[in-house]
Parts: sequence; C-alpha cells; structure tokens
Amino acid sequence: MRFFCRENWGQQLRQATALVGLLTLVSGCDWMPGKPKPAERWQPDTAITDFANLYQTQCAGCHSRDGRMAAARPLNDPVYRAFVDPKIFRQVIAQGVPGTTMPAFAQSAGGLLTDAQIDILVQNLLAGAESDRATLRLPPYRAAPGDVQRGAVAFQTFCAKCHGKDGKGGPTGGSVVDPNYLALVSDQALRTAVVVGRVDLGMPDWRGYVSGRPMTDTEVSDVVAWLISHRKK
Amino acid sequence: MIKRLQQIAQWFDDRLHLTKLFESTAGHHVPKSSGSWFYVFGSGTLLCLMLQLVTGTCLAFVYVPSADEAYLTLEYLTYQQPLGWFLRALHYWGSNFMVGIMMLHMAQVFLFGAYKYPRELTWITGVLLMFVTLGLAFTGQVMRFDQDAYWGLGIGTAIMGRVPIIGSDLVHLMLAGPIIAGETLSRFFTLHVFILPGTILALIGVHLRLVLAKGINEYPKPGVVVKRETYDQEYEAIIKKEGVPFVPAAISKDLVFSALVMFAIFTCAAVFGPKGPKGFPDPTYIQTAPQPDFFFLWVYSVAALLPPYTETFVLLVGPVVATLALFALPFISNTGEKSARKRPIAVLTVVVSLLALSLLTWAGIRSPWSPEMTAWTSDSTPAAFLKGRSPLELQGALVLQYKQCRNCHSLDGIGGERGPDLSRIATRLTRDQLIRQVIQGGGNMPAYGKNLSPAEVEALVAFMLTLHPSNVPPVRDSTIPAQAAL
Ligand code: HEC
Ligand code: HEC
Ligand code: HEC
Repeated sequence: MRFFCRENWGQQLRQATALVGLLTLVSGCDWMPGKPKPAERWQPDTAITDFANLYQTQCAGCHSRDGRMAAARPLNDPVYRAFVDPKIFRQVIAQGVPGTTMPAFAQSAGGLLTDAQIDILVQNLLAGAESDRATLRLPPYRAAPGDVQRGAVAFQTFCAKCHGKDGKGGPTGGSVVDPNYLALVSDQALRTAVVVGRVDLGMPDWRGYVSGRPMTDTEVSDVVAWLISHRKK
Repeated sequence: MIKRLQQIAQWFDDRLHLTKLFESTAGHHVPKSSGSWFYVFGSGTLLCLMLQLVTGTCLAFVYVPSADEAYLTLEYLTYQQPLGWFLRALHYWGSNFMVGIMMLHMAQVFLFGAYKYPRELTWITGVLLMFVTLGLAFTGQVMRFDQDAYWGLGIGTAIMGRVPIIGSDLVHLMLAGPIIAGETLSRFFTLHVFILPGTILALIGVHLRLVLAKGINEYPKPGVVVKRETYDQEYEAIIKKEGVPFVPAAISKDLVFSALVMFAIFTCAAVFGPKGPKGFPDPTYIQTAPQPDFFFLWVYSVAALLPPYTETFVLLVGPVVATLALFALPFISNTGEKSARKRPIAVLTVVVSLLALSLLTWAGIRSPWSPEMTAWTSDSTPAAFLKGRSPLELQGALVLQYKQCRNCHSLDGIGGERGPDLSRIATRLTRDQLIRQVIQGGGNMPAYGKNLSPAEVEALVAFMLTLHPSNVPPVRDSTIPAQAAL
C-alpha cells in the first residue's frame, strides 16, 4: 500500500479541497462565544461612567446597596436623600469627612475619581429627591448644636427606651455616648442619625421615636448637643 | 479538471523529485513499536508551531510594534477586524498548547530513555528547542504590551537584575534601556518574529535530521539495556525485521492526535477567546493585579513564595543548575535501561517536577499573596457581622474598611487572602492579642502603630471581638480568672 504516490493524488486533491472549503465555512462565523464583547473592553477606571459600577466599586464597601445592612448609612434612603443638602453632599464625596472614615474621592484630594464621575454619583444618588423634600418638611440639614441641658431631657423622651437612660446602651440600641465612638464621627453624622435614623439597622427617623410626636427642630439640635457633650476634649 | 491538475503535479514532480524526497524522509522506516500513542507529542508540537507561524504572520500584517500603536492595533484586531479576535485567540491558545505538548514530548522522551546513546544530540537540540519555544512564549506576551506584559517583563528584568556585577547591563540589553519603553517593544518584536522563529526553524531542521539519521527510539522493553558497542547493530536489526515506513504506517496515530490538538486549539479559541489586551501599560497605575501568562505563572509563584533571603540565590543559581542538568543528562546516563519500569528515579523526577509545577501554577492562578487593591471600597461587611452591633462596633467595621484591612483579610470569604480570614477571629485571639497584632503587625502584616488613633484601635478591637459564631464563645485571656456566673 502506498499512501503518497502518484496513483492516488487525485483523491487527495479532492480531500484537500473539501477541507479548505470546510475551514472557510467555519471561519465564516463570527459569533462564537469567545468573541470579546465591547462591553468587557478594558478601560481605565477614570473612564467608567456607569453609576452602578461606580457605586459598587467605590462606595458599597461601607454604604449599603439596595437597602442591605452596611456599616455606614444607606445613601438611597428616601428620607436621607430629601434631608441632605446637595452641595454639601457633593463636597463630602469629593473631600471626605476629615477625622472620620469617609474618604476623599476627588483626584484633587488624593482620591481616584474624576469630577465628572463624582457628578455622576451625585446625580444618580439624589435623582428625584426634590419632590420628597417638598412633602417631608424635614428639619434643616445643617444647624448649630443646641442646649445640652434641654438635650438631656429630650434624650429621655425620645431615645432612652432604646439606648438606655444614660445613653450607654439599652435593650435595642448600643451606647451612643462612648467617647471612642464619638471620636470617630462628625457632628453632622450625629445630626443626620437623629433626623434620618438608620432604616437598615432598625433606628426610626425623627418622626418615629414617639408615635405621633415628631421631634422639633430645637429638640434635634439639643439632643445632638447633648451627644457631643460626651466627647472627650 | 482533476486530471489536468494531476498532470501539472506530475510535471513538477518529474523535475523536483518530490516523491523521492518523500521516500527518504517521511517514508523512512521506523520500528513498528514506535507507532505508539506515546510517540505523538513531537509531531503535535511541530503542528502547533506551524499554526503559530501562519497565525503569527497574519497578525503581523496588522500589528505595529511601537509603544503608542501596539495596544491600539490589538484593540483594533480584537474589536473591529472581523475574526481578528479569533486570529489572536488562535495564536494565544496555539502558544499555550505548544508549550504544553512540548513538555509532554520532553517527559516522554525522558521516560523512554530516548536521549541515551546514540541520540544525545537529538536531546540537546531538543533542549535548545525548548528554550527557544519558551523564549517565543515570553517575547510573545510582551507583544501584547498591556499591563500583564509589563508585569511579565518586570519579573524577567527583576530576576536578571540580580545577576552580580553585570546585572544592570543585562537588563539594559534586554530592555534596550534602563526601563520598559518603546525601544523595548522593538527589541522584543525583532526577537519574536525574526530571530527566534529563524532559530527554531533551523534547530528543528537539525532535530529532524538527527531523528532521520539516528532513527526513532524503539519502544523500550524492560531488561533490554543499551550498550554502546552493540546498540547500532541491534537497532538495524529491528528496522530490518519489523521496520515500517513512517508514512503511512506509523503516522496514523500522529494524525489523529494532531487533529485532536487542532480541534482543541480551535475550540479553546472559539470558546475562551483571546487574552486581553488588558489595559495600557502604565507603571503608575496601581489599581490592578496583573498576571503573567499561564506557563510563567509558576515563576511568579516562586518569586512570591521564596523567603526573601533565598531569592537571589534560588532565582539565579536554580536556572543555571537546571540548564546544566538538562544538557548533561545524556552523558550522565548514556547507556543502560531505557524502560521506565526499571528507572524509578526517572519516574520520580517527572512526577515531582510535574507536581511542583502544577502546584506552583495553581498557586499563581489564585495568587493569594497579592492584596486586592479595591476590596476596601467595594466589598461590603457581610450583614450578619453588623446585626445588633453597637455604634462603636459599627465604627470598627468602618475602620476595617477604611484602613484597607480588607485588601488582605476576607470576611466570610470575601476580600483579599494575603492574611487569614477574620470571620472567627475572636475565637482565636484575645483583646490584648488583637491590639498587639494591629499595632505591631507581624508576619507579613504591616505594623499600623501610629497610623491608628486610640479611638480607631478601640473601635476595631470592639468590632473584631464580636466576630465569633454564636455557638462558639470568644477566647478568654487566661490571666483573668473565669467568672463564676458564666
Ligand atoms: C471606608 C468607608 C466609606 C466609603 C468607601 C465611603 N464612605 Fe461615605 N461615609 C462613610 C462614613 C463613616 C461616613 C460618616 C462620616 C461622618 O462621621 O460624618 C460617610 C458619610 C458619607 C456622606 C455624608 C452623610 C451625611 O451625614 O450626610 C455621603 C454623602 C457619603 N458618605 C457618600 C459616599 C459615597 C458617594 C461613596 C462612594 C464614592 C462613599 N461615601 C464611600 C464611610 C465611607
Ligand atoms: C427604636 C429604638 C431606637 C430609638 C428610639 C433610637 N435609636 Fe438610635 N439606634 C437604634 C439602633 C438599633 C441603632 C443601630 C446601632 C445599635 O444597634 O446600637 C441606633 C444607632 C444610633 C446611632 C449611631 C448611628 C450610626 O450610624 O453610627 C446614634 C448616634 C443614635 N442611634 C442616636 C439616637 C438618638 C440621639 C436617639 C433619640 C433621638 C435615638 N438614637 C433613638 C435604635 C434606636
Ligand atoms: C498587607 C496585608 C495586610 C493588611 C493591610 C492587614 N493585614 Fe492583618 N494580617 C496580614 C497577614 C499576612 C497576617 C498573618 C500574620 C502572621 O503570619 O502572623 C495578618 C494577621 C492578622 C491578624 C491575626 C489573625 C490570626 O488569625 O491570628 C489580625 C487580627 C489582623 N491581621 C488584623 C488586621 C487589621 C485590623 C488590619 C487593618 C488595620 C490588618 N490586619 C491589615 C496581612 C495584612
């Protein structure tokens, strides 16, 4: 038997033509699963403009996503979105909150995000917050701390049942006067907590501490002053 | 039509004597026993090389070897040129398969004692071919000129830079400058498309010439030993008695294997696609965990796992010793048994090398030693670890994120893996031990010391002390007497 000899060249040529034809046919398809999708194309992080992606990679480590529990407050809580001042909101993201664990994200402040990316975050996080702001009639976002003595009284009225009479912890809430805790949070964070609460952790907002009796603006400022007074100087 | 073609072919053959050439090469007689499934890897490697030459040439039509344009042309090939991605994928997978099958070929030759008398030179050219192939694979990953390429090259230069006295000159020679830049790419391009392919073709010529001249190793039988005085006659006798023409008698298995290899390469290319390009090579860009190509992962693991004081020694002396051993092998064990059944040390060598390589590669794939640079902002603290925690403990969870502990430590399996998972840390360490660990570091953990305020330490420790399953109590400090009530 001869494999490669003159007698059967004709047959081999036929086979080769068939093979080439088959290959052409196969390569005509440009739909195979390994084809890289343009969406997966590598891009520098500064080129990401997708809000969900930005939030997931930059914020979800500390702030809750879609209502899940997280260590820092959920940013999509409707009450919070109505409460916060958009200007300060943007500034906090860009510059961080010094002395706390909220980092600065703007490149000018040593972060990784461009101004455009911060704008995308702000726009998406606060989209539609205007209408809530009109209906909720919230205390102002920013206000100077009030009177410590009056704050102590207000604390008993609104907070003691959860955080204990002395604020050092009760049946359903931990200590809010621990000096180490107070050293790590800003005054504004305390105010935000009192007004907005923490939906994810089971702390109601300013309307819900005593049913049918929302806290007044002064009471909010007074309680915050009382909390601050426990800071170690 | 077919008839006409046949006539033309015959006209050429009458002048070129192709059929005669065929009979003295592909048609040469080989021992019947070598028509075995173990003897298919050599031709498989050769086939991969052919594929690499074809796909590589096609790629070179588009590729521009300049620092500015290399990445762009690859992006063009991947996303715009129809089937350009497939071409890249074929070249990438072809290279993976070529290295893999070449290694199998080498292991088989070693186990079957084929390197022994009189085939020493065949082995030596084979070893040279291995180095050239690895060189092609290495220079090939540089062609991608993305972050992975940058990194792969970085490892190479780091190893070279360790060479005493001439280290920095070697690096300069390799990179065409002190750093990786456009000139580096030109240099590697020349290597990858001219010098190394030329060398590999020349070496394959010699390698195959030797295979023809010295014959293919007969399938070794236990107890049949090679003696320098008698082997040549014995081999001749085998060929006389049971010699068959390589084509078509012995080649059928090679063909089946080659078809399988082709099929595998095409399938991998179609299903998994090409690799990268992953990001413009920017040394200042640190938010990335680049990885070298598959077959160099083990080097990367070695570099990462070696204790620092042994690194220079192992990385410099190791390759030299290994290379010398490979070249010396046919002279050290020149005669004697060929069958693997009678050569336990040879079998052990292969098994141990294979095991070591696969373990190191596996470690390289997981690369738990590189921190996850983005974990601190992206990996949430699992809700189970936040439920019912006090405000201070919640702050501790935040400090754990903020101070980037999560880049090295996972919670519930999410996060970096450089340090241990902290989900149950309270069952292992007491308060004092936790404070010490955080302040003083230890092992591969940095000492945070003054980088943490006292309040941050308190919060961190308060949080970590809550990290234990509800049915397992935290460890107690044995210096504090147990409370009777508990
Ligand atoms: C390392 C944890 C961490 C990350 C990551 C983080 N934050 Fe924060 N963030 C905090 C903490 C803690 C606070 C409360 C700071 C304080 O005490 O005022 C905060 C506060 C804020 C506030 C102000 C809340 C208020 O009181 O009005 C905004 C807005 C905010 N973060 C947005 C973001 C956005 C957007 C991102 C992602 C780009 C982000 N944060 C990422 C920890 C983090
Ligand atoms: C219904 C119970 C409840 C009431 C009433 C309540 N809290 Fe809370 N509070 C919680 C829970 C639950 C948390 C989450 C932390 C924990 O479990 O200790 C919390 C957390 C806090 C925090 C920390 C928030 C953070 O993000 O770090 C502060 C500050 C706080 N409360 C202050 C107050 C003050 C001031 C009042 C009264 C105006 C009040 N709380 C009323 C349940 C309550
Ligand atoms: C660069 C990576 C890295 C970072 C960042 C890091 N660690 Fe570690 N950590 C390690 C390694 C590695 C070990 C194991 C140390 C050893 O071998 O003894 C470790 C060990 C520990 C341990 C002891 C674990 C055990 O099971 O014994 C604790 C607790 C710990 N780290 C807490 C922290 C905290 C808190 C932070 C942030 C303030 C942090 N680590 C940041 C790498 C890191």
